[in-house]
Amino acid sequence: MSNFNSRQRKIMYGILIVLLLGPIVYLGFPAQQIAGGADAGGLGKLAQMRSRYDLGEATLGKVDPSSSAMNLVLLGLRGPAASVLHLQAIEYQEKKQWAKLRATVDSIILLQPHYVQIWKFQGWNLAYNVSREWDKVDDRFYWVKEGIKFLIEGTVRNNTIPILFHNVGEFVSSKMGISDEKKFFREFFREDPDPKFDTSTGVHGPDPAINEKGLDSYLVARDWFIRANEKDENDGMAGVKGMTHVFFRQGPVKAQISYAETRAKEGFFTDHQAEWEKGYREWMDVYGKYDFLGLNEKKYKLNSTEDELKVLAKENGIKVSEQRKLWDQNVTMVNYNFWRDYANVERDPAMLEVHKAFFDAKQAYLEGKATEGFDKETNTVIASKAQVMLETAMDLWLEVQKKYPVMFEDDRYIGEAMLMVKYWQAVHTLNARPIPGEYKLKSLWDSQSVNKQLEIERDFLMETRARKLK
Amino acid sequence: MDFDIRPYNLAAGSTSWLIVIGVMLAIAVGLAFALSVARNGATGLKVFSSGLAGYLGDIFSLSPSRIFALTKLTLLEAIRRKALFVFVGFAVLLMFSGWYLSDSNERPELQVQVHVTFLLTAIAWLLLPAVIFLSCWALPEDIRIRSLHTVVTKPARRIEIVIGRMLGMSLVTLFVLFGMGAVGYFWINRMIPAESRGELTCRVPVFGELYFISPEGQPSAAGINVGDVWAYRSHIVGNSQARAVWNFANINEAAMIRKEVSTGVADATEIAEGLQLECRFEAFRTIKGSEKSIRLGVQAQYTLSDNPREEAFGMLSQGEALRAVADALRDAQFENASKLMTELAERIRTAPDELRPADYVGLQQGLSLASSVLKSRKDKRLADVPELFEASAVAGFSVISTLRNNAVGNKTDPVPYEGLAAALDSVAKGLADNAAGLLESLPKLEVPLPAFHISEYHEGADENLTFIPRKLRFAADYETQGRFLAAVMEEWNAASKLAEGNALKATLADDLANGAKISPLNAELLVTVLQEQLTAGVLKCDAGKLSVADGRSWFTVLDSLIRAEKLIAQDSEGWMIEKDLLKDLTKDGFLRVEVACLNDQMYLGMARPDLFIRKPDRAFFVGYSKALLNISLMLLLIIVLGVTVSCIVKGPVALFFTLTFFIVGQFFHDFMMRKLTGAEQGMGTLESAVLIAQHRNPQVGMDVSSTTQSVLQGADKGLEGILWGFSKIVPDFTVFNRGSVFVENGFDVPFKEAVIPAIAVFLGFLVPCILLAGALLKFRELEAK
Repeated sequence: MSNFNSRQRKIMYGILIVLLLGPIVYLGFPAQQIAGGADAGGLGKLAQMRSRYDLGEATLGKVDPSSSAMNLVLLGLRGPAASVLHLQAIEYQEKKQWAKLRATVDSIILLQPHYVQIWKFQGWNLAYNVSREWDKVDDRFYWVKEGIKFLIEGTVRNNTIPILFHNVGEFVSSKMGISDEKKFFREFFREDPDPKFDTSTGVHGPDPAINEKGLDSYLVARDWFIRANEKDENDGMAGVKGMTHVFFRQGPVKAQISYAETRAKEGFFTDHQAEWEKGYREWMDVYGKYDFLGLNEKKYKLNSTEDELKVLAKENGIKVSEQRKLWDQNVTMVNYNFWRDYANVERDPAMLEVHKAFFDAKQAYLEGKATEGFDKETNTVIASKAQVMLETAMDLWLEVQKKYPVMFEDDRYIGEAMLMVKYWQAVHTLNARPIPGEYKLKSLWDSQSVNKQLEIERDFLMETRARKLK
Repeated sequence: MDFDIRPYNLAAGSTSWLIVIGVMLAIAVGLAFALSVARNGATGLKVFSSGLAGYLGDIFSLSPSRIFALTKLTLLEAIRRKALFVFVGFAVLLMFSGWYLSDSNERPELQVQVHVTFLLTAIAWLLLPAVIFLSCWALPEDIRIRSLHTVVTKPARRIEIVIGRMLGMSLVTLFVLFGMGAVGYFWINRMIPAESRGELTCRVPVFGELYFISPEGQPSAAGINVGDVWAYRSHIVGNSQARAVWNFANINEAAMIRKEVSTGVADATEIAEGLQLECRFEAFRTIKGSEKSIRLGVQAQYTLSDNPREEAFGMLSQGEALRAVADALRDAQFENASKLMTELAERIRTAPDELRPADYVGLQQGLSLASSVLKSRKDKRLADVPELFEASAVAGFSVISTLRNNAVGNKTDPVPYEGLAAALDSVAKGLADNAAGLLESLPKLEVPLPAFHISEYHEGADENLTFIPRKLRFAADYETQGRFLAAVMEEWNAASKLAEGNALKATLADDLANGAKISPLNAELLVTVLQEQLTAGVLKCDAGKLSVADGRSWFTVLDSLIRAEKLIAQDSEGWMIEKDLLKDLTKDGFLRVEVACLNDQMYLGMARPDLFIRKPDRAFFVGYSKALLNISLMLLLIIVLGVTVSCIVKGPVALFFTLTFFIVGQFFHDFMMRKLTGAEQGMGTLESAVLIAQHRNPQVGMDVSSTTQSVLQGADKGLEGILWGFSKIVPDFTVFNRGSVFVENGFDVPFKEAVIPAIAVFLGFLVPCILLAGALLKFRELEAK
């Protein structure tokens, strides 16, 4: 090289640059520039491969220019930078600096927008861990929403990842439906306490970022589960990363069942039967008939007749007994038959009558209609409205029990009947009457353990002492 | 807020600085002399003295005009080197910051914090690399290209070159910083949504000193730990005796604010003067609580108190054995306390070992504190009780020092328990003899304020602000009621307004209602009771004067009537009394505020800065400017360090040197100090290395011979010595961040805690660095590149 003079060296460098630039231009050309279709030649090779393997930013989800800019600026130091930010986030959380935690989490996501676990972890962290650090229920709800919104943002950036969609459904369903604060959260979900979301008439409205149409939380969760299942369809029968497939797919129908169940508990009986019918049909015909892959990639359906078992056994190339075993294992694992029977009982109009009668009786008790009257003319005691309604509910319960004796051995039905007895006993105590030696559900009450009776006692106290704060 | 920054001890800092500078100067002169002798042999002394004389001459003949000329040159050079380009980076960052910061937090107080933090961090960190490069590269580059040679041939002294360099670079930096600060100020005002701008303010807090009272009534430095990883806050349990007690100093008219408050009549309001308290308590629940508490938050209550008995005798409750005595004294049951004290003396006399050594220590400390508090009151009614407490504290000290000597020296010297018992007997007698005087001279005044629900983590929320009007009207407890009525009786009797001839005045009830601010119903009751006592012979009336028949004080008589429940308030409000916040509750500028948690099985967490008196706010600009001043001092210090180092080494070396100083000072200074003071647990460097290599933990120790162990530990001591030396010359860069921390949290930057430390650290390094840099440049050979 030293034999060349400066000018010659410069010419050589120029030639080398052009030579090296050539293949880069050739390979890195944008795909849309290809004449005659994607396979027309090597032009835009990298773009084609990116498209073929779904590796492009745009195919993974929405592209955030700030995220791309940040990654470019860091010149390959994305890993260390993200690690530092993760450590900072942990420190901020320990030191309860929530604003800085939230901002740091946003920064991490700018660096690692397609790292699914971070979306899941930080979404969970905000909705579950950070929210419980706050004292007031309004604040807790705010952070639950932050977690959900964060996860929704994750689905936008990664719209091919089913588990993120499923997680949104799960967060909405479990946080609003079964958390300690569910009573408030379900209300807030439709009527957010933040005045920012007040409607023009001055009443609380929903936060459009998580509940645009102001629906029930289970219905919103159901929508997310449906979208998750749609995303899952793209992979054919293959399972989802991060969750057992047979559980993953039951999201929408479980949300439907929870919706019907919770509405009844809250005293809304319109469309009760129709919602349960919908749940039952979905359980049987949609979820039950879905083709799952079990052990050793063998196909099975949860709702299979004997003939279907034979057909599937043939298709899988195994014996019918083996197919039955495979089916049985999975049916047991997801408790398929219980949910089927439960939905079947609940869609029965007679069951609706039981729930409604008991709910009305409880309302009568809470409204103070438990005091008995006295008819001076006939000189007889008039039973209180609550007592009459409770006895009607007990009769109806006994009737349906005869129809579904096995299902009525389940704790939830026994519990309901015992609570009826507890209310009925409370009505007697209120009127200073001794509990009669014999009554309709006495044998059921006596057959239960003392612990169970105490549990019912506690439920009764919780229901009757809870007063809604206005 | 997560900081607890204490005022800077300037005197201690200055003393330490003088010692370090003296030692370093001695080392430098000694080293220079030794080098001179080594290099020049016999003429070394002459060379050394002439060099020193020349150097001192340079220092004392500094020329401002030459320094100014050199400063100007540096300025021009910096501008030519495109130092101002850092502006562009800043502008770009601010332009696109919205991408990263927008809607990350919708809550106003959180938004403000994020934006202010971003701005101050961006200013500091953008300027930092520019400043380091500028200061470290300039001189070596001048030397390399020999431009400095032309300067030194001029009459300019080399120390003047150093000062000129430092000054020039500082001016450029300050210019850029000022520009950034101004742009940043407008940026932040634009970025913060209109509804959040109220949060962009500078609170002026008065922080107090905090201690806790346990559920058993014992004073302690910390409360309960509820299991937080971060042990910053301590908790008090609800619905118990547990209290967090703050003592605020320097409370006077200046701390008062004026606020519009409701008069209680329809919608009418008035402007009232008072103190504003702001809290940042944390809530912790072991149960969910009622729906109301879930929605509104945990309840807290403040009680303002002036309680000399708590101050004097609270400490006595430290030991289990002494708690009963302490409780009796705190409750003003002096005769009962006397009996308990006698029993305690007897116990010490007959079975001294039943009390643990810690109990004796607690007793001695309690007696000593009681003596000093009682003495400080200078009240004749206390008679010789303070001296008796003092004598017993002295006797207690003999006991604990003998116990300590016996324990340390494994000795069995007789412990003077008898002396302590006798002293306690004297105290007991003094208490019994002077019970009435003690009761009158140690009045307890407690003013409970209305309970409120805390709003956790909502800093500055209305729920967390409590306005205490200067004129406090409250329902009095028994003791306060007794003292109030006794004062009225004494005053009115002196003015002959109670009786006419040998009977109570016929219009007394109306007079009391009008003249003593007692409600008509209560005034009527009081007159009825006075009449009863007159009839019963407890009181007597003679020539228009009402007095106590047996010569007891009015307070004693009224107190016994109140405790016999003869003066139960007749109106629903109770015995309402008015007190002045400054005159009646603030003593020598000290205000005591007790905080209680009202909910059962719930806890309130707090640290010292979590409750403060909020004086009138200052504009955001004030705190922001001070935070910028701190940042500028940090940058100037880096310039000073960079220029100093670059006088002797080349650019890259100077750069790494300065960077190391900065990184250690910024990120590891606290760790270094904790390691040196023993606060940081762990072994020395070599011992740790061996433990790691051997996969052993510190409890087990190294698997080496005792000789090797001694050698390694000795070497570690040596390394620690180096670290100690290093800690004296590495500036604590975290002091410069203090201003930003205050502003980020919505506070003004206090001078004592944040500005003075920054100025002190800067000046502390500036002077020696100029001297050192001048010497290094003077005595170096410029041609040795």
